[in-house]
Amino acid sequence: MTRMIRVNPGLVLFSCFFLAIYLMIGSVEDWGRLSNGLGNLRIFFFESLWPPDWSIFEPRLYPDCQAPGGLSITCSTAWIGMTETLKIAFISTVFGMVISLPLSLLAANNISTPGLSVATRFLLASLRSLPSIIWAIFFVILIGFGPISGIFAMTVYTVGYLGKLQYEAIEGMSSLPLEAAEAAGLGRIEKTINIVIPESANDLISQAIFMFEYNVRHGSVIGIVGAGGIGYYIDLYLGFLVYDKVIAYLILVFIVVLVIDSISVYIRSFFTDDRPTKKPTWQSVFLPTWK
Amino acid sequence: MPIRLWHEQNKTPFPPDPNRGLGDPKLMATTGASDVVVHLDGVAIGYDKNKPLAEIPSLKIKNGEILAIAGPSGIGKSTLVKTIAGLVRPLAGDIEVCGVMAPRRPVRGQLGYIPQRLGLIRHASVFHNVLIGSRAKFCGPLDFFASKQAKEWAKKAIEQMGLEHKTWEPIRRLSGGEQRRVATARTLAQRPKLILADEFLSELDEETMSKVANSVVEYSQQEGAAVVLIEHDISRARSIADRLVVMDDGRLNPFLSETKTLEVKL
Repeated sequence: MTRMIRVNPGLVLFSCFFLAIYLMIGSVEDWGRLSNGLGNLRIFFFESLWPPDWSIFEPRLYPDCQAPGGLSITCSTAWIGMTETLKIAFISTVFGMVISLPLSLLAANNISTPGLSVATRFLLASLRSLPSIIWAIFFVILIGFGPISGIFAMTVYTVGYLGKLQYEAIEGMSSLPLEAAEAAGLGRIEKTINIVIPESANDLISQAIFMFEYNVRHGSVIGIVGAGGIGYYIDLYLGFLVYDKVIAYLILVFIVVLVIDSISVYIRSFFTDDRPTKKPTWQSVFLPTWK
Repeated sequence: MPIRLWHEQNKTPFPPDPNRGLGDPKLMATTGASDVVVHLDGVAIGYDKNKPLAEIPSLKIKNGEILAIAGPSGIGKSTLVKTIAGLVRPLAGDIEVCGVMAPRRPVRGQLGYIPQRLGLIRHASVFHNVLIGSRAKFCGPLDFFASKQAKEWAKKAIEQMGLEHKTWEPIRRLSGGEQRRVATARTLAQRPKLILADEFLSELDEETMSKVANSVVEYSQQEGAAVVLIEHDISRARSIADRLVVMDDGRLNPFLSETKTLEVKL
C-alpha cells in the first residue's frame, strides 16, 4: 500500500535556498577578493575594453577585397566570422533536426517499444551530456580546424538536445488520437506519420527554431577552440590582449543574437499560439510597450 | 464489491418503444453465432486485478444491433468500451470481437472507436482527420499515400456530417459540436463492422444531434454494423438503441421496463 507524503513547497524552497547559501559559504575561501572585483572591473572596462574598436567592420588587408565599395563590409572579419557562425548554426540545426526526429520517435515511449525507447534515450543523453564546446574540441582533434568541425560538433549536440525536446513533445501529445487509430488497426508507422507528426508538428518546428537560436549563441563560442565562426576572431584577439576589438565582436554577437531571438519569438508564435487571429506585430516584438 | 453489468439474464427483452423509430427491432430477433460481433464471457474489467471495476458474466452484441450502455460516472463504462476496442486488457474472461479472440485484434478497419474526448488531431485539417478512418479500411499499412477510394469515402463522410465547407479547416478552429461531427465522420469513413462511441452525442444541439444519430443508425441499418454507445441520457439512449444495459452496483435491474427507477437513480 502506497503512502502519500505531504510536502510543503514553501519549506522545500527555503531549505534549498539556505542549503545553497551554506554551500556557497563553504566554497568561498577569501571574501576580500570579492571587494576587489568591482575595482578590477572598472579598470578593465575603461582602460582595456572601452571604447570598442569598430575597425572589425573594415575590410581585411589580405586578401584584397573584391566587393564593390558599398559592400566592402562583407570583406571584414566581423562579417565573415558572423556569417560563418550563422551558417554553422543553420546547417547543424537542419542536420540535427533530420537526425533527431527519427531518434525521438524511437525514444518516445507512447509509440516505441520499451527496449528501443530506453536504448535511444541513452544515446541521446550521451550526446547531450557533453557541451558543444567539448564536442568541438573532439572534432578539431579528429578532423582539424575550421567550420566543418563546428558543424559536426553542433550537429551532434543538436541531435542530443533537440531529440530530448522532441520526444518529450511527442510523449506530451494526447493519447486519444493514437487510441482511436489503434482501435481502427493502424500500424505503428502509419500512426507516426499520420498522427504523431501532424499533432506535434507545431512543437517540433518551434523547437527547431529555438535550437537555431541556441546554436547561434553557442556557435559564437565554439570558434574559440578553432571550430570556425566568429569565436575564432574573439579568441585571436583575446590572445593578443586586444580587448577593445574583443568587446566590439561581443557587441556584434549580442546584437545578432538579440535580433535572431526576436525573429524566433515572432516565428514561433505562429506555431505555439492556438488563436489564429492574435499574432504579435514586429513592433510589439522589438518594442514590447508598442500598442 | 465489484460492480456488475446487468444484461441478458433478464429473459424478457424490453418492449420496443414506438417513439424509438430509428432502431430496427427485426435485428433484435436475429440469432446465431455468426451474427455475434462482440461476445464477452466472464469478463472482469479495470486496471487493478484486486479491484475490478465491473464484471460482465455474458454480453453478446449482434450485427446491426445498437446497444446503449448507461450508468453513473466512474463506474467503468468507458473502460468497458476500451476493453472491447482492445485498448485495455481484460482482467479475466474471454472477449471475442469481430470473430477474433482477444488479445488478437480484429482485422484492420473493422472496428471504429469514437473516444469521449474525440481524439482528433488538433493541428490537422478535417479531411486529414477523417482520412485516418478511411485509411484504416482502404489502404495498406505501408501505403504512404492514401488511395483514391479512401479519399472518396472521407469526402462522403464529411458531406454526410454537413462539414464540406470546413473540409480544410484545422480542428482547433472548429466548435465542440463540429469536432464531434468530425470524429463521427472519421468512424463512418472507415465503414467498420462495429462502432464504439463514448458519449458521442453530448455537446450537440438538438438538430445536429438528430443528424449525427441518424447517420450512425442509418449506417448501422444499411451495413448491418453493430453499435455500442455510452449514453447518459436514458431517453436519448432509448430513442436510438435497440437495447439498453446499465452498469450499476448490482441493485438495479437495467432494462427499460424499469427506466423510471433508473432515471431516479441516475
